[in-house]
Amino acid sequence: MPRHTRRETAVLAAPLVLFLLAILGFPVILSVVYGLSETTFQTLRSPSFTGLDNFSRVIADDRFWQAAWFSLRFGVITAVLQCALGLFLAVYLAPLIARHGWTVAVLIMPMVVAPAMMGLMYRLSLHEFAGPIPHYMWQWFGWSPAFLNARNVFATVVVAETLQWTPFAFLLLLAAYQTLPRDVAEAARVDGTRPWRLFWKIELPLLMPTLWIALFIRFIDGFRVFDNIYTLVGSGPGGITTSMSIYIYEAFLRQGDIGRALAAAILLFGAAFTLLSLAQRLGRRRRAA
Amino acid sequence: MKLHSVLRWAVFAVAAFVMNFPILATLVTALKPPGEVTRNPSLWIESPTLENFAIVLTVSDRLNIYAYLFNSLTAALIGAILPILLCFPVAWALARRGTGRAVLFPLVVNLRALPLIIFAIPLYIMYATLGLLDTRVGLGLILAVVNLPLAFLLIVNAIQAIPLELEEAARMDGARLPRILRRVVLPLCRPAFLTTFIFGFITAWNEFLFGLMLTTQKAVPVTVGASFFFATSGGGVQWGVAAAVMIVAALPPLVLGVVMYRRIGGSMLGGAVKG
Amino acid sequence: MTRHRLTGAALAAALLAGPAAAQVTVLGWPGGPEETALRAVAEMYNAREDVADEDKVELLFTSRDGFFDKLQVDLAAGSTAFDANLIATYSIGRYAPFMEPITLSDEAQDVFGETVLSTMQFDGEQYGVPTDLSLHFLYYRGDLIEALLADEAAAELYGDISEEFLGERLAPKSPEEWTWDDFAANALYFSQSVNPDSPTRYGTVIQMKNLLFNMMVFHSWPRSYGADWMDAEGALTMDSAAWREALETAKLLYDAGATPPDSTSYEYAEANTAFSSGQVAAMVQWNAAATELTGAQPETVAIAPPAGPEGRFTHIHGLGLGLNAAAENKDGARAFLEWLSTEEAALAYARSGGAPGLAGDTAQALADERPDLVQVGDYASNYGFVMNGATSESALSVYEAQAQEFTGYWAGTQDLDTAIANVTASMDELLN
Repeated sequence: MPRHTRRETAVLAAPLVLFLLAILGFPVILSVVYGLSETTFQTLRSPSFTGLDNFSRVIADDRFWQAAWFSLRFGVITAVLQCALGLFLAVYLAPLIARHGWTVAVLIMPMVVAPAMMGLMYRLSLHEFAGPIPHYMWQWFGWSPAFLNARNVFATVVVAETLQWTPFAFLLLLAAYQTLPRDVAEAARVDGTRPWRLFWKIELPLLMPTLWIALFIRFIDGFRVFDNIYTLVGSGPGGITTSMSIYIYEAFLRQGDIGRALAAAILLFGAAFTLLSLAQRLGRRRRAA
Repeated sequence: MKLHSVLRWAVFAVAAFVMNFPILATLVTALKPPGEVTRNPSLWIESPTLENFAIVLTVSDRLNIYAYLFNSLTAALIGAILPILLCFPVAWALARRGTGRAVLFPLVVNLRALPLIIFAIPLYIMYATLGLLDTRVGLGLILAVVNLPLAFLLIVNAIQAIPLELEEAARMDGARLPRILRRVVLPLCRPAFLTTFIFGFITAWNEFLFGLMLTTQKAVPVTVGASFFFATSGGGVQWGVAAAVMIVAALPPLVLGVVMYRRIGGSMLGGAVKG
Repeated sequence: MTRHRLTGAALAAALLAGPAAAQVTVLGWPGGPEETALRAVAEMYNAREDVADEDKVELLFTSRDGFFDKLQVDLAAGSTAFDANLIATYSIGRYAPFMEPITLSDEAQDVFGETVLSTMQFDGEQYGVPTDLSLHFLYYRGDLIEALLADEAAAELYGDISEEFLGERLAPKSPEEWTWDDFAANALYFSQSVNPDSPTRYGTVIQMKNLLFNMMVFHSWPRSYGADWMDAEGALTMDSAAWREALETAKLLYDAGATPPDSTSYEYAEANTAFSSGQVAAMVQWNAAATELTGAQPETVAIAPPAGPEGRFTHIHGLGLGLNAAAENKDGARAFLEWLSTEEAALAYARSGGAPGLAGDTAQALADERPDLVQVGDYASNYGFVMNGATSESALSVYEAQAQEFTGYWAGTQDLDTAIANVTASMDELLN
């Protein structure tokens, strides 16, 4: 590359690179320094180096692993539910949507509402004495489940997350479904193939790449969940709804244990990075094949 | 055929009702007078009133909703526009010259997958030193980071879709790079910019964690401001007023999303498939 | 072009605008009567002639959600956004390193009394002016209890229920004479899960959300059995019959359905809503809830919490205002805080809806206007307690740890022995 072109490229890349260095570079250094030190808010300016102590404390902390397990379960279950529901809606409602486009707008409303707001909305909707759901349960059945007790709270947050983000999977799959080549379907129909078989044998395989992407994105968002769980139930009775993000937030602000919070964050970063590299390698292999 | 059509409408109605239920319940609560909420939690409103909205929309010592909305608007605009400005030049370099394909591109795109909390703590400490805590600019900057991955992806895709011949032709005419970028590439990227902007704006407006941690008073965004009404351990909740605040807070992204739903769908596919 | 640049500059200036300079900025406790009262006295202070323009008070209010966490970070970071800030009894130890002791007015001793002043002291220094005193009341529905006391058949059923659940036959009593056993029996009797004919769905509502404030409400109960965090030598005393008794009975009530099944997600707002709906017979709640609860259920009566074998107790803590060590206008802030500790200011604060803990003549001066303040002052001096260790640097974290473990026990995610062992381990790390 000639020198002036190289300079040109440098100028083009500079804004983004400098921005990233400024806003993420320093925090990264800070994370590492504090992650390797014993730090509380009292000693913010004079952290004392303790090596990998924070990391061993995090690894020995049952709650960290409980939070990791919670996030993992939550991420997998919500991603699968959302994609299954979203796929059904996208495929089944496609003919309806083709004629009445506005129906899409109604279905995606939940996902443009802030998750934190959604958590508060559920807090209202599910309250035994102010919320409509328990009200009707009592009126019709003389009983209402405790949506937020230890036994049910996991199911409740899973359902809340699923209902809010199914539109995401739906929209993604709908867009992919609409771009499927029509001629294949048309030919199959002329051959007398049943719609159900058409879906399984032809359409679904074509949708698989999008479905994997939807699953992956929804898993990531589920795994790092914070807003809606935090505003709905906090960390839950005995901490049973502590996600990874909530664990770090509480270690930092509630317990003032900055070193442990950052060590956990770094471990999380490592895990996310590994997962991503794996996923991308897999994706590349799939595309190459 | 007829039956299927009816069934489809039924499925649509059920899905729409169930998924939007919390929004509906909140709206209903917001339209009830204070005494009615605990007496009658049903979806039927005995004496509908706009009183709660009047309280919310009236500036008081306790609550200035316009300030929250302005904070959200400013921060979300920064968070939606800045990524476009930052990504456009480097996206061209990537699409045409492969700049940053090895490190920069995966790095930025992978930001999408990282739990945001990782940045919140060191950022807090850094902002505290720089005086960016509790400022709209500070909040906007980090929201821009949140939106970088999608912006980068969408703009790279858009540039890759532009036929190389157009640029070649301009180059033949003696145009230099800045001119080509401005006159040829930029206009063709406008749809991608708009999509990026809409998606980024909604994401930034709805962000909660950074608003919660990085602001206290002057730059509080409306997502966090609305949660003030669910006071922890003190101060009674006026459910009706709280509900009205939530509706007002949710309205801008809702309107944007409903009006622009086609673009959102397209952007997600474009962004996701290539990623 | 020029004009564009100008608007651009104006916009940038607006975006970057910092805090207004040269005032005394005070960060208060948001959202309740404390805020209303502080606004009123600040206005009064600003109207005084001897207060220079640059020393006028400007108030800041944020959110209660994560308030102490954020304040902690702000103080530690040397924030200059406020000159004076809220402190609470349980957070003084945490904030003291970033604050400066202050001098109160000469009247302060007489106005507040030694007990109340001590809620704002740490290491022998006065770190704040006490503004509000918080403690707990037993709220009950007078109409329901009256009907119960007049009904002999009901007394029979009441006895059966208490015998079945608590192993002891109890008779209905006036709440003034209640022990915690009576409280529990009453809670069971008024719950439809136990007594299908109960006029209310639940006998009580216990706030069991994993939240430190809920532990404060709970503490009065084990305390009346003699519970403390640690003994005089500093040895932890969490594994005691006193703690177990109260924890187990609360769990019994939860399991029996005497408090809403969602109680494990209830905090102040949810609990008050439950009581306000008329479906709860009695509850222990902050004194600040008095207006709201009596407003919704006019038959509500507020008295001191029930008694236990060791006597009658209520958890107390004070809110107050202290001086940020990084303050830009320290002199102005000192002047305001000193004035705030005068009788004039305390009376105005009380008249505007605040709940200061007032002593002697000052309290009497308000007896007609604010009888509840006499009640608060009375309960504070007779029944008030602070757990041993609850003003230390780690007090808030101790409450947090207790909330985590005890709510887990109540919700059924772990047994009592584990909960107590975990709390002891956490507290051992935090306090020693």
